[in-house]
Amino acid sequence: MKTPFRTIGFIFLLVSCGWATDEPGAGGSWFQDITKQAGVAHPHTNSAFKNPYAHIMSGYTALGASASVADFNGDGFEDLFVTDSKEDGKNRLYKNNGNLTFTDVAAVAGVADGNDANNASADSLWFDYNNDGRPDLLVIRFGYSQLYENLGNGKFQDVTAKAGLRHYANAITAIAFDSDRDGDLDLYLGAYFQPVNIFEASTPRFFPESFETAKNGGGLIAFRNNGDGTFVDMTDQAGLRQSGWVLDLGHADADNDGDDDLYVAADFGTDRFYANNGDGTFSDITEKAIGVDTKKGMNVDWGDYDRDGYLDIYVTNITDDYMREGNFLWHNSGDLTFADVSRETGTYDTGWGWAGKFFDYDNDGWLDLYVMNGWVSGGKDSYVPDVFEMILRPNVDLADVRQWPPMGDKSLSGYQKKKLFHNQSGQIFKEDAARHGLDSIRDGRGIAVADFDNDGKLDLFVTNANSEPFLYHNVHPHDTNWVEFILEGKTSNRAGIGAQIRLTAGDATQISFVNGGNGFASQSTSRVHFGLDKASTIDQVEIRWPSGKKQVVKNLSANSIYLVREDGKVEPWKPSKESGK
Amino acid sequence: MRKRAFLAGLLIMMICLTVIADHAVAADPAAAMAEMEPLLNKEPDNLQLGARYRQAAIQAAQYDRCIEFYQKLIELRPDASNVRLNFGFAYVDKIPAAGSITQVILANNALTEFTKSLEIKPSWLGYYTRGNSYLFWPRIFGRTALGIKDLEEAMKIQQAEAKRPYHVRTYVALGDGYWKMDELDKAKSVWTEGLKQFPGHAGLQARLSKQGDELKSVMDEAYDPNLRIDTSLEELWAK
Repeated sequence: MKTPFRTIGFIFLLVSCGWATDEPGAGGSWFQDITKQAGVAHPHTNSAFKNPYAHIMSGYTALGASASVADFNGDGFEDLFVTDSKEDGKNRLYKNNGNLTFTDVAAVAGVADGNDANNASADSLWFDYNNDGRPDLLVIRFGYSQLYENLGNGKFQDVTAKAGLRHYANAITAIAFDSDRDGDLDLYLGAYFQPVNIFEASTPRFFPESFETAKNGGGLIAFRNNGDGTFVDMTDQAGLRQSGWVLDLGHADADNDGDDDLYVAADFGTDRFYANNGDGTFSDITEKAIGVDTKKGMNVDWGDYDRDGYLDIYVTNITDDYMREGNFLWHNSGDLTFADVSRETGTYDTGWGWAGKFFDYDNDGWLDLYVMNGWVSGGKDSYVPDVFEMILRPNVDLADVRQWPPMGDKSLSGYQKKKLFHNQSGQIFKEDAARHGLDSIRDGRGIAVADFDNDGKLDLFVTNANSEPFLYHNVHPHDTNWVEFILEGKTSNRAGIGAQIRLTAGDATQISFVNGGNGFASQSTSRVHFGLDKASTIDQVEIRWPSGKKQVVKNLSANSIYLVREDGKVEPWKPSKESGK
Repeated sequence: MRKRAFLAGLLIMMICLTVIADHAVAADPAAAMAEMEPLLNKEPDNLQLGARYRQAAIQAAQYDRCIEFYQKLIELRPDASNVRLNFGFAYVDKIPAAGSITQVILANNALTEFTKSLEIKPSWLGYYTRGNSYLFWPRIFGRTALGIKDLEEAMKIQQAEAKRPYHVRTYVALGDGYWKMDELDKAKSVWTEGLKQFPGHAGLQARLSKQGDELKSVMDEAYDPNLRIDTSLEELWAK
């Protein structure tokens, strides 16, 4: 006969099991793939070349699947710009309808045409170049990049030439931050190939001269914002002239001195670390900061994963049977030196890495990490022996594209799973992608992290080369708390890019900052999101603006989005239109 | 009588060389290399001195100097098996300090020298060394089977002679080779026999106590080119 106690015990057991399944690793996904119903499933297609080297180049240009987030129309819901790369392939501007569906308005907005016979979209960046409070759009291209001014009526206007940005480069990444703290956003463009027209190459010598120390890439181009809607190339004056095979750029204040420093991830050679001298010029302190590496840097993202008050850096490289480079998790010592702790933290080996983004997916107050992997998933034959046969050939001239074997339908580090690392209290990470259905084997490239439905849980838009993207809706069931901040600068740049926020809630202090586009092939939200775990009140928030102004706010309620103005006002923020949910 | 005197002289010289090398290496490895270079020029095929010279090079991080020295030594004695071996090891010694592509080139160069050494004089050390080197190559290069073949040869040689402590290496490596070829039963069998012959061996215990991804992690670490392996050969002349 059942006793009441036994029944209570049984119920308790069920409840216990129910809770247990919410814990990482215990089964049950916290992300829903809503790509198709959201209307964002349009696939990316790689660029195809028509020059005499096209059959070789095709193996090395599986790039350009990118996504960038901003609320371009100011309705309170984060929108998405997604690139294609094939000739005449249309770029997409997905307007968020407020109910986790999106409508492509690129053609109407005038930003769809990013690909033609001489230009291929590689990435994009939202940044308010003219400080009018509206995010403008830079389409980063192999060829001439395009700057579109957001006119505020759903339409954009190409202002590339007017802004002084018509500059030929095989650009693959860009970030914008106010390096000289004069109140407007400066632009940093990273280029992969040197500035030769790779669509109609006049020379065959435009491939990397070395796998480890190549210095014949596109390098870095720094544009200072003149404050009047125009830019000037200041690469030399800024001390940033270099010729690496740049794949990504990342900015943040490494030493908490009030200005943003710069990490440059380069393929085929040495990543570079530049310390900001405080005036928008930089000192190359690579050897002191990170040492000289020979790896294949792909991604730069900054986040304080161990909550020690300094922003750390995650850089992906190549790790496979044939090339065991390992990623870098650069732990910031606070004195402009870093130590790689990727082995100790379990984030070393992901595969052929691309974007890797810090974000707190369960709002437990610790930054987790999601990493894209895989180069080319083709046929069952591997390209590895072909390329090593070339490498072992005596006196091979690697810069000559004709020396490189065509990849054809072969695979190179293909069919690799994406990795989701759950942060275990700042010490190690536990890989948990399969449990959440986030371990797709498509050739991942970019990750745009944003709260698309304003519910305080960070969602993911994932781009894949030559394939459909994914939109993952975060539905984690925990009752952990959160807060988001939207910043509006006055003396500082209007978007508050570079502003650092130090938040204390309960017994935890976290720092984060307004990010100007860090991470490979993707730009996440510029809102600053914090997971608060069980804390329902935020004891203190200190905002340090790029202007140097400090603002302290006490006793804010959790689970809200706040608008923080540099003039001192902090108020709960609501979208201008109601969610359609 | 003359033979005995010669052997005694040789022994004294060996002891002297060892003492010189040990002292100097600890204090100033680069200076120790300079001291050992003329000695090696006189005695190129001295395996032990050559190994000590390489250890000094590792300590001094003067890998290229070591490689260049052996290149010259090879010109002097192209038919010396141990010079070839040490030359191959000189490439291996640089691998952890090199970039991922240079690692492949160095490993390939090392294999060339190990093969030449074996062609001059087949030996347990030659077969074990080359066989083990093959295991560092990803399976896609088709070199694992060659490694197994060499290691099986090394096993035959060691089974025909008195048991030495370093013979355990063959059990470890041969089992690893089978594992790499997805022949788990054969791998386990070799490791088990190895543990029977060398009870308590940590490497064999680690392999036999793990499965699946955990075992793969052991292998990944064992054959990670970024981690330095012991090439001192000290076990060969350990008492």
